[in-house]
Amino acid sequence: MTVASAAPAPARPRKPAPSRVLIGGLVAVAAITAWAAWEIDFELTSLFENFSNGWVVVEQFLHPNWSYLGNAGTAWMETISIAIVASFFGVAVGLVFAYMASQVTNRSTKLYRVTKWFLSVLRSLPDIAYVLIFVALVGVGSLAGILALFIFNIGIAAKLTAETIDAVEPGPLEAADASGSGTFARARWAVQPQILPNFLSYALYIFELNIRSSVVIGYAGGGGIGQLIQVQFARFNYENVSAIVISMFVVVLIIDQVSQYLRRRLV
Amino acid sequence: MSAETKAAPTKTPRPQEPGKARATIGAIVLVLLVIGGGYFSNADWSKFPDVFTEGWRYFYLMLKGIVQNPFSEPYSEYWTQAFNGMLESISMAWIGTMIGAAISIPMGFLAARNVSHPVVVQVTRVFLNIIRTLPELVFAIILLLPIFGFGPNAGALALGIGAVGTLGKLTAEALEGIDPGPVEAARAAGAPGSAILRWTYWSQVLPEVLAFWLYRFEINIRASAILGVIGAGGIGSVLSQAFRYREWDFIGILLLVIIVVTVIVDSISGAVRHRIIAGTAIKDKDIDTQPVGL
Repeated sequence: MTVASAAPAPARPRKPAPSRVLIGGLVAVAAITAWAAWEIDFELTSLFENFSNGWVVVEQFLHPNWSYLGNAGTAWMETISIAIVASFFGVAVGLVFAYMASQVTNRSTKLYRVTKWFLSVLRSLPDIAYVLIFVALVGVGSLAGILALFIFNIGIAAKLTAETIDAVEPGPLEAADASGSGTFARARWAVQPQILPNFLSYALYIFELNIRSSVVIGYAGGGGIGQLIQVQFARFNYENVSAIVISMFVVVLIIDQVSQYLRRRLV
Repeated sequence: MSAETKAAPTKTPRPQEPGKARATIGAIVLVLLVIGGGYFSNADWSKFPDVFTEGWRYFYLMLKGIVQNPFSEPYSEYWTQAFNGMLESISMAWIGTMIGAAISIPMGFLAARNVSHPVVVQVTRVFLNIIRTLPELVFAIILLLPIFGFGPNAGALALGIGAVGTLGKLTAEALEGIDPGPVEAARAAGAPGSAILRWTYWSQVLPEVLAFWLYRFEINIRASAILGVIGAGGIGSVLSQAFRYREWDFIGILLLVIIVVTVIVDSISGAVRHRIIAGTAIKDKDIDTQPVGL
């Protein structure tokens, strides 16, 4: 009522037409999805038809064989040891690459480009590919797992740390330059103190990642808890697999909590 | 130089260096841990030199496979298999991301403290944490292989379920970080609950959430290779077979295809991500350090 009597209300602005980018993007997403679904023969009917097959397995999973966990102790020790060694050496080498992959510390543009390119190649292979390679080189066992994770960690550690180096305060760098320090002294005394807390926090994050990927590592022959899961799974001992999976859940949770506490104190 | 220093009228004593005890203890503990790790991992360190002696030989064989004429047999077959496998892996990763994204939207809303009831929030968070802790591999072997059999379909579903944990958590965190102003405005204007969620909450988090989806897609490409090794198809299956028969020339071609295609897809996805979140407060690095790892 009052609206009608008031001065003519300004016309409601017209809704802007959806942008071409948006329409193009949506069409592209729909097309890729349809094509991908066709490529992998996507279907959900099996979920209803074969549900009982799966339920048999799930039922065994619901009755974990706790007594089997006694055997898992050594495997866990192995997994944690692999993760410690691989993340220690991985982040140490990764730090060197990080210095080379940032233009703050690396004054040679050529070397910087080569390092960046090398790191993105390193990161593009999944961890399982490294495990397969090292199993072929040194045989099945923890050594293959350590080496695979070591290479894998270099890529992640270098990428994360290089981005932190890019963002350091320029003040100490200028001071170092003004006093005529060389490339190494500059990196060590003007950059490293600034990035150290972040770097240590990335190291802990990488350690967590390594524990998580232990199933994968072991499955492909890299030792540790994953190998145990693979053996028990191949023998259809689902009750034992279930007990290991639950122990994995607990271990990952504990390590996450400890590492998060340490990371909060660092940064 | 020395003349100048001498000329200084009063020389303040150099401050004492801060104690290094803590750092030293930390370093000692770390070294002990690493030595202990090296011992308890039961690694056969005597085989370590093989990496260098054997490594070069195999690397040479792989290179030989790559530089062969790709149109001659059996190399044309190798290249076709490699590209088909990679396409299948990418499709698996894409469908997995789509499934994960679709399920993670309601999960994210349920797990956001400023949207849902505290009890619902707690229950949803526990659920998301369970999924996040277990690797995709576990879902695949427990649930999907018995129901769907070996194949990329099971792999895509496993990736989808695995993605729900991280995407749900990240969506919830993004929702909790929104500016409450628009929500109040919509409420004051009498908007119904669904409109508030759609036009104030969802609009604010959309760029960030889209960036997370794309990042998850990049991760899923790598994860799909892992699932391939247990028989979910894609490049992982082809790769593990090639390793079983030690066909080093084929392995070389496969690794090259994985590297090149992954780098290309990563850079496209990275550029889109960058464009989407340009102008918002978040940075690429904030997304990269999220615990979305494999």
